[in-house]
Amino acid sequence: MELITTIKGIISLLVILGLAPVFSGLVNKLKAIFTGKIGAPILQPYYDLKRLLKKETINSGSSSFISNISPAINLVVVIIAAAILPIGFARPMISFDGDIILFAYLLGLARFFQILAAMDIGSSFEGMGAAREAAFSVFAEPIFFFTLGSIAFISGLTSIYDIYHSISLDNVSYIVFIIVCSISVFILAVSECSRMPVDDPNTHLELTMIHEVMILDNSGIDLFLYQYSSYIKLFIYAMLETSFFYPFGVKSYTVGIIIFIVVITALSMALAIVETITSRFKMKNIPQYLLFATAIGVLNLLIYTFTK
Amino acid sequence: MLEFSILFIIPLITAVLCYFLKSIRLQYIYSLSAGLLHLIFTLLIFIGWYKPNLPFFFSFDSLSNLFLLILSNVYFWVVLVSFSYLKRPVNSKAQDGKKYYFLLLNFYLFANTSAILSNHFGMYWVSAEATTLSIAPLIYYYRNEEALEAMWKYLFLVSVGIAFAFIGILFLTLSANGTPLESHQLFYTEFIKNASKLNPVWLKASFIFIFVGLSTKIGIAPMHYGDVDATSNSPSPIAALMSGSLRITALIGVLRIFQIVRPTTTFEFAKIILIIGGLLSILVAFIFMFKVNNYKRMLAYSSVEHLGIIVLGIGIGGLAFVGAMYHIAYNSLNKLVLFFTAGNIHRVFKTREIKDVSSVLKILPWTGWLFMLSFFAISAIPPFGIFFSELMIFQGILFSDRPWLLAITMFMLLFIFINMGKTIFNMLYGGKENEAITNENESFEVIHFATIVLLILLITIAVISPDILHENILNISKDFGFSL
Amino acid sequence: MQNVLSILFCLSLFYLAVTSRVKAYVSVLQFQGILLTVLIVFPFIKHFSVFALILPATLFIIKVILIPRYINRIIINLDIKRTIDPTIQQFTFLLLIIFSMTLIFTTSNILSNSTDIETIPFASGFSAIVVGIFVIIFRKKLIIHVAGFLVLENGIFLFGTAVVSELPMMIEIGVLLDVFVVVFLMGIALNRISSTLSGFEVTSLDRLKD
Repeated sequence: MELITTIKGIISLLVILGLAPVFSGLVNKLKAIFTGKIGAPILQPYYDLKRLLKKETINSGSSSFISNISPAINLVVVIIAAAILPIGFARPMISFDGDIILFAYLLGLARFFQILAAMDIGSSFEGMGAAREAAFSVFAEPIFFFTLGSIAFISGLTSIYDIYHSISLDNVSYIVFIIVCSISVFILAVSECSRMPVDDPNTHLELTMIHEVMILDNSGIDLFLYQYSSYIKLFIYAMLETSFFYPFGVKSYTVGIIIFIVVITALSMALAIVETITSRFKMKNIPQYLLFATAIGVLNLLIYTFTK
Repeated sequence: MLEFSILFIIPLITAVLCYFLKSIRLQYIYSLSAGLLHLIFTLLIFIGWYKPNLPFFFSFDSLSNLFLLILSNVYFWVVLVSFSYLKRPVNSKAQDGKKYYFLLLNFYLFANTSAILSNHFGMYWVSAEATTLSIAPLIYYYRNEEALEAMWKYLFLVSVGIAFAFIGILFLTLSANGTPLESHQLFYTEFIKNASKLNPVWLKASFIFIFVGLSTKIGIAPMHYGDVDATSNSPSPIAALMSGSLRITALIGVLRIFQIVRPTTTFEFAKIILIIGGLLSILVAFIFMFKVNNYKRMLAYSSVEHLGIIVLGIGIGGLAFVGAMYHIAYNSLNKLVLFFTAGNIHRVFKTREIKDVSSVLKILPWTGWLFMLSFFAISAIPPFGIFFSELMIFQGILFSDRPWLLAITMFMLLFIFINMGKTIFNMLYGGKENEAITNENESFEVIHFATIVLLILLITIAVISPDILHENILNISKDFGFSL
Repeated sequence: MQNVLSILFCLSLFYLAVTSRVKAYVSVLQFQGILLTVLIVFPFIKHFSVFALILPATLFIIKVILIPRYINRIIINLDIKRTIDPTIQQFTFLLLIIFSMTLIFTTSNILSNSTDIETIPFASGFSAIVVGIFVIIFRKKLIIHVAGFLVLENGIFLFGTAVVSELPMMIEIGVLLDVFVVVFLMGIALNRISSTLSGFEVTSLDRLKD
């Protein structure tokens, strides 16, 4: 029994690692369709990654060892974070009391090394991007703690797997609570994975970039590692979102998988729609957008602590 | 049913009639007869010849008797002078203002009667808001920028303020939790009977919200701005109406909640709040009298001052409370006189700036002398009524547990008197001749007649001191639990 | 159910804080009107009577149809620009709202120990009152002031349902009509202000001073 759980955990992780680029491709494909284009094939991220592997790595002359280790650390850390998240109802590989904190700070560590590497290169554009990333992550972090944290607070559990398992939708106000939470997680995903209203992944002007500008000078295997970890990151946030919708009454493995597929498709749809209909915010409006999500979290916390 | 139709339905019908009648004269005649009927009927009720009995949300007691009489009296004189006021040439834009003038006045009478007679906080709120709504377009009678701004500020500030009063009313419901009043209606009479059982925390909150909210309408500092702007920029009859009756309509709401608070532990707290409000208002009048340069604005500040004295008197209680009741009556008469004469000055001089007005006594002898007399009256010079009521209030303060308040009040009143006097005598005598104003003999008009009658009334009431009034005021103070 | 509606109500308040469009304010007012209508219709579903539907119907007509339409018409007629001209940054504004909401919720929870109130609608209503005042204080456009006043009124309404006071229907309708006429008069005044003072902002109201 123990073995089966472990195997399920490993399978989950492999699924995450394997499917992450597909999700990105799916979002891009849908977005292209909504804007009336044919778009790249769904598997395009794989081709990109494959192409990057073939290329040579060149680092800037002024860079130190940080630039060399940062991409690898980034990917490893993100994979560990992925191992904490449950898919369906499988117990993830890493699961213990308090892993919600570990999860948040693993992602923080990844961001930290990326910022460090961007500053290490010594180009002014990278420095600017790093500063922006750091500034906006200050506003993004409270979102995580006020949404997932509030569920943790209400349920009294501190492991992500347990928290998601404790969600039960027998109460009407709890459903609204979850829906409201999912809104703020969506905003979190958008900002952390540099998607549309916060950052435009397809922009071509350095001055308007946030995330992309940090990896401008990377190439070859380094860029591969960065790209791959950013695909995984998007997928992780997508899973955070889908996990809210698991327990519609039934708690079985198969149903969990089905819900997972349905919700993740719906989510890619939502992301694509948002990216199609909105334009990128002005830089100065981003903090208030993120604070809005935090406000939702605060509201949740308030309401559920004070409901009798 | 008779009382209901005369007090409520006739003003409403007249308002509707005024909408369909094109002729201003006809509108005036109908409104005047409605007002006269209202006045006569109210007098009958006040004297006690008619025992009224009103349906559901309304009732009579000594307090509403007195206030209704004041309203009715003020309204009658305002309507009486309105016609001659409307005949005056104003700029062409203001022609629109005339069309709805009497309609709104009648609606005002209806709403105000209903506010004063209401026995239910919800009803009071709705009617008090309706009085604001009917008076706001009248403030904009001149159709110029200042009037527009004053109307906007008044409408906005008072609406927000009265929304706060509504919160206070909701708090009052909360305070009734767990008492026999729970889930009952918000009738004053019920609340007054069971006041001691109310929850003190919510009662306190309720008092603050109602007082602060309504003080936008009463013109108690620091919420007096909208009121001062509106009073100083509206046409004179409307300014008289606002100073003489609208402010005390708001005051009755405060008095009602004060009456509820009276037997509870919140009483001391409420007294302090009222005293602070009163003193602040006198202080504001004291400060602004030094720098005021618009004589209608000066009168508006004088209103703030006198309402401050009244609220102070109510807060002190005892004899000062009785004095405050008298003061309400005298002040409303006096404000009528002041604003009527000031309106005459405005008509001839076409300005509200003090520095452009001089030798009024020479140009407008009737108005000038009457203006001077009404200034004496408002400054509490005997034998005018205000002297006696202020004396009573001061005596009340002196023998209360806070006699030092008297020193502060007297000091500020002295300077208000000096500053007002300086301004008014400058206007009346003054050296500067204004060539634009032709020196023709002033004819005796309805306004002068009204002013003289009102001044005589002010003296006779004070000197004769009718038993019926005294008895009524003693009844009010008995209702409030102040025994003399 | 009351809690759910209150949550949505609070969300709309947050949205007010971040949006910078005049139109969005009108939609929020409309949305809040719908919420309030649902809130008072809800108890009647079990014991239905036509008479009880008069108040929700009036509420719906005034708050969802008439007032938003009227404000929209003013916006179109006066050609008011789309942005709201805040006097402080939206971010600070939102922060202010979050803090005051936290304070209000905590306070009302403490109060609910001693009195029988429904914490969530009570606190939401009070938050709306505070937000309405903030909107009036921190925005320049007069039309937004009207919207702030209406948010305040909506807050009072929600608040009223929380303290379970049953005012007679006649008075409730009177309150609604009063609010409507206030907005109507403010609209007329706005029309005049735009033509005579040539501006829709508070700064154009500076004639009356001492």
